[in-house]
Amino acid sequence: MINTNQQSSSAWLGNLARAVRFETMHWVIIGLIFAVFALGSFGSERFATLTNIFNVQDQLVALAIIALAQTLVILSGGIDLSFAGLLGLLCVFFAGFNAQDGETLALAFAATLALGAFLGAINGAITAFIGVHPFIVTLGTSTILTGLALLHSSQPGGSVALFFEDVAYARLGGVPYGFIFVVLLYIFTAFMLWRSNFGIRLYAIGNNEAAAKVSGVPVKQTKVLVYMLSGLLASLAAIYMVGRFGVGDPRAGVGFDLRSITPVIVGGTLLAGGFGGVLGTALAVILLSLLANALNLMNVSSFYQWIIEGVIIICAVSVLVGRSKK
Amino acid sequence: VKALLNNSLLPMMRTQTVAGSQRRELILLSLFLVLIWGVTAMLSPRFLSIDNLTDILVQAAPLGFVVLGQMLVIVVRGLDLSVASIMATAAVLSIGANDSTISIVLLALAVGAIVGGVNGYLVAYRGVTPFLATLATMIVLQGIRFAYTKGAPGGSLPETFRWMATGSIGGIPVSLIVLAVVAVGIYWLLMRTKFGYQLRLFGDNPQSAYMTGAPVRKIQVIVFVLSGVLAALAGLFLVGYVGIVDNWTGQGYELDSIAAAVIGGAALRGGKGSVAGVLLATLILVSLFNIVVILGLSVEFQLVIKGLLIVLAAAVYLSKSRD
Repeated sequence: MINTNQQSSSAWLGNLARAVRFETMHWVIIGLIFAVFALGSFGSERFATLTNIFNVQDQLVALAIIALAQTLVILSGGIDLSFAGLLGLLCVFFAGFNAQDGETLALAFAATLALGAFLGAINGAITAFIGVHPFIVTLGTSTILTGLALLHSSQPGGSVALFFEDVAYARLGGVPYGFIFVVLLYIFTAFMLWRSNFGIRLYAIGNNEAAAKVSGVPVKQTKVLVYMLSGLLASLAAIYMVGRFGVGDPRAGVGFDLRSITPVIVGGTLLAGGFGGVLGTALAVILLSLLANALNLMNVSSFYQWIIEGVIIICAVSVLVGRSKK
Repeated sequence: VKALLNNSLLPMMRTQTVAGSQRRELILLSLFLVLIWGVTAMLSPRFLSIDNLTDILVQAAPLGFVVLGQMLVIVVRGLDLSVASIMATAAVLSIGANDSTISIVLLALAVGAIVGGVNGYLVAYRGVTPFLATLATMIVLQGIRFAYTKGAPGGSLPETFRWMATGSIGGIPVSLIVLAVVAVGIYWLLMRTKFGYQLRLFGDNPQSAYMTGAPVRKIQVIVFVLSGVLAALAGLFLVGYVGIVDNWTGQGYELDSIAAAVIGGAALRGGKGSVAGVLLATLILVSLFNIVVILGLSVEFQLVIKGLLIVLAAAVYLSKSRD
């Protein structure tokens, strides 16, 4: 209490360690990435080309953004299963503006981000203030939002300015804009987890909610904020997806609810909350996307890819369990 | 005075207990069911016909089996996301492998039991979160199923299954008879046996269950095995009802069964769940679908209502349990 400055700086350092510290798990994933690389290069000539790597970067953008959102929620000890409905609704909402000029596009951007944040905040509010288990809350809202998205338009529809589609497909020296954006987003989030009070509170709540509350963390507000951020990130993913497809697909989010959890868990973040970070998620997204790409190029049917994905999850959690039991 | 105490005061006092809150939930659910049935009957006289009501009940049967298993898993603080995958895999593998009814049933139930056993092993002995363990088996099963069928399930469905799912004995649908037998069995297991007592105790407080010497790991494994077996049974009934074997049989049942269990009063934090409650909730969910169709509403409304119901039910029960 005498030197608060010192105290908070040590909290920062501790948090930096938590947010981006290299864990054994991270080295394992990096090793696996190399293994997949070797496997891919061995199995297909097209795999280890720059063109293909840039393609993989393109393909992982949406999953990376959603996995980032899921990481934040899981760090706080919650879970967000609403992406299936949320992404669909946000896609049809954004495309519904039919933005053809810069002005409408800006409006569509702002409105979609606001809607995503608002819907996320509702998830957070029900979880934090009423105390319903986040699994149930987000399962319910996902069902509602899926219904609303399909009521809005049962078929993919709407449109977006062509120049925006160009941006979504644009590349900087071969590297897709989307990928650069995702990298910046991850760096920003890691920084936020490290430096901001919000980041410290997030870990505190995930670690031990009661203890966090006793030590003066505004638990409820922080929870609402996490789900709001999650909704905001979902908006970004939806906007990107509309830019890629050119239309708003009400079913764009199907499967994203469970798919977003795999990279978080494989990346070493504990489902119970309070442990892990964005670095693991980033590595896991790269690993899973590369693996899917390599297997596709090697003509391995998606049936076997599912088996592999499931086995990876089991292996990842079994490795982690030994540590969490300590 | 003693009679008064026994007849009115004691029951009133007991309503403060878990049993009491469950009784209130049952009344709430029944009222809600009567309400939606009543409103629909006023809007469309067709709804209350014997045929339509029988249809609802027969449709509800497969989900009912799954929900009973899901409820048991939720009571021990678990969650089973693999049930839908078990339904399809058990049906596809067993029907693809042979033609005789008995061996199909046995094979399907064995598949369910094995997968449930793996889930239970991962959860109880490896300490994996139920969510992740069952998510992983769900995905693996999906892969195995598609790899086995190469995308197109084969084998012919014996007539017996059609009869099991849609036929009736003395006017009562066969599937309902089986469901009733299973439900009574689960009720007996949960409320009247030592195993059930230990199971509920574990859900309430794993530490104290362990302290009293309950075989906590075995309990978890058995519960997941039961959930797997019930899911496999549900798969056979659903395949019989639909009439064709499909790789996506039961798609959506994992979340629907969790929804029904929660609406029926099971709490994800464990220790709480009632057979009658979850069956009523199943009936409500299936009725909603039927009502939406009968009233000619667009099917998406059903999703909105279902979602609202899930959140509302969980919120209402929570505020009740806090009183």
